Amino acid sequence: MNAPDRWLRDGSATSWQPPIAQLIEDNPNARQRYRMRGNHLVRHSVYSNRNEEKIEVKEDTRVPSTTIFTFNKEDHTLGNLISQRLHKYPYILFSAYKVPHPLFAMFELRVTTDGSITPREAVTKCCADVVRDLDVLQQSFTTEWLGKRIVTEGEAERQARDQNPN
Amino acid sequence: MSRSQPHHSPAPSRPHPPPSDAHRSLCANTSAIRSTVKHLRDQTVSLAKPRSRSTRMDPYDVEGGAINVRFLHADSVRAHFIIQNFNLETANALRRVMLAEIPTMAIDVVEVMDNTSVLADEFVCHRLGLIPLIAKGVEDLLYSRDCDCEGYCEQCAVVLTLNAKCTGRDIMKVFARDLVVSAGRPNEDVGNPVIVDPERQGSSIVKLRKGQAIHMRCIAKKGIAKEHAKWAPSAAIGFEYDPANKLHHLDYWYEDDPKEEWPVDHDRINLDGGAPTEDEAFNYDAVPSRFFFDVETVGGLDPDQIVAEGIKTLQRKLAGVIQQLQGGGDGADGADFGGAQSPTLNGGYGAAPDQGYTTPYGGNASVWGGANAAAGGTTPYGATPYGGGPSW
Repeated sequence: MNAPDRWLRDGSATSWQPPIAQLIEDNPNARQRYRMRGNHLVRHSVYSNRNEEKIEVKEDTRVPSTTIFTFNKEDHTLGNLISQRLHKYPYILFSAYKVPHPLFAMFELRVTTDGSITPREAVTKCCADVVRDLDVLQQSFTTEWLGKRIVTEGEAERQARDQNPN
Repeated sequence: MSRSQPHHSPAPSRPHPPPSDAHRSLCANTSAIRSTVKHLRDQTVSLAKPRSRSTRMDPYDVEGGAINVRFLHADSVRAHFIIQNFNLETANALRRVMLAEIPTMAIDVVEVMDNTSVLADEFVCHRLGLIPLIAKGVEDLLYSRDCDCEGYCEQCAVVLTLNAKCTGRDIMKVFARDLVVSAGRPNEDVGNPVIVDPERQGSSIVKLRKGQAIHMRCIAKKGIAKEHAKWAPSAAIGFEYDPANKLHHLDYWYEDDPKEEWPVDHDRINLDGGAPTEDEAFNYDAVPSRFFFDVETVGGLDPDQIVAEGIKTLQRKLAGVIQQLQGGGDGADGADFGGAQSPTLNGGYGAAPDQGYTTPYGGNASVWGGANAAAGGTTPYGATPYGGGPSW
């Protein structure tokens, strides 16, 4: 059973927010900071639990083409990146994320599209585009770094020669 | 198993691309990247930048609108550079990843055999944890929690032994250089203490007087700074955009006149298109596009490696999202973004029916496989987690 189903257990389908008490009950992090995996200590707030989904996907039944993605063990790094990036696509009507509680390592991303593409596809495409951008960045960075290092080393060598002519 | 294969040639077990096609697919890939970037840029421009502003010739943007990097300074501890034609959310995500999510090495468990120094055991252990260790080649190590061993082993840990006793009359200092690294590491770099000072001593650990001794076994493990700051690869990351505050993202506090009271960084403002003129109207559509990064290393990784690893880690994270969303969310045991999980435990992502990352993009394996060959490391998708068969 994934978390959003449980949040709606009381029948109040009007709220997509998890009650904080339920979050505490669900999240072992609230009870202990570590868990043992074999003989190894694993910090709850950082590393994935294999029993939980990394991303829980829940359709919003009240608004068309709307999905709420719950990212477990992820933070603002991904939340802000995806939600802001989505704003740049013309078919996105709404995209925002929130961290329901700072002590729980998760965020919720809500995405509404105009129907020409599903929110799931939109997020996937968005991520793929960022990956491609980062590839370009990586290539430019590597080239420029090598160039700059050669220049810096050349200068250092010349300075050493100037100070010590023999 | 050490990685002896050259990184740019694909492992034999990987279906795409065949070695002879490597160059061609790289070219095709570049054009695919270009068209994607162009497509994205067109959309961004129509949303954001009025033409009057962006058509003004920018002397620092020779690339004509493609994402590019300019270096201001580069040495063995620092990389000071500008990313141009980038966007704020990705730049910030990269900054956050470089701060907190790049795997490095640090002493995590200490067995105290003897400690008659004036410092308490836990005090010394804390100091040991903070000693920077070389993180080159950490990818050859497993995370301890993913290892099948009891506690630690050669696959997931490096053992450093500290054994010192003061016998002379003078006070003896114990340094990081006195840590003896165990044999059997996957490569010769991981886990060595960082020693950069001219005396080759490394970090200072304790002082001993005559008769005092210290004997500890330190188990260094792989980890990320999100768990504990001792795993942070960077000492500091400078991050700035819009130094002239043309976008009004900052609201300066002042007593009488902010222009009088706040210092101005003329060099940076000049690098960012110059100071605004007095009568320049506020541009409501402007977005930041030029980002100043200043990455300083602790010593475990070279500054360029921090950036490269940061990019790679972020790409893996995103690839994890794609993987899970396209897989229909059935990957309960397979998706831990950022490579924080060992692929070898569950057979690796390569065992998935969709061949990892190759299919979603029209079989264009090179987008994920070959693009980063120049980076000197493994590519985010070429190596194990999302590519072909496990290669370590």
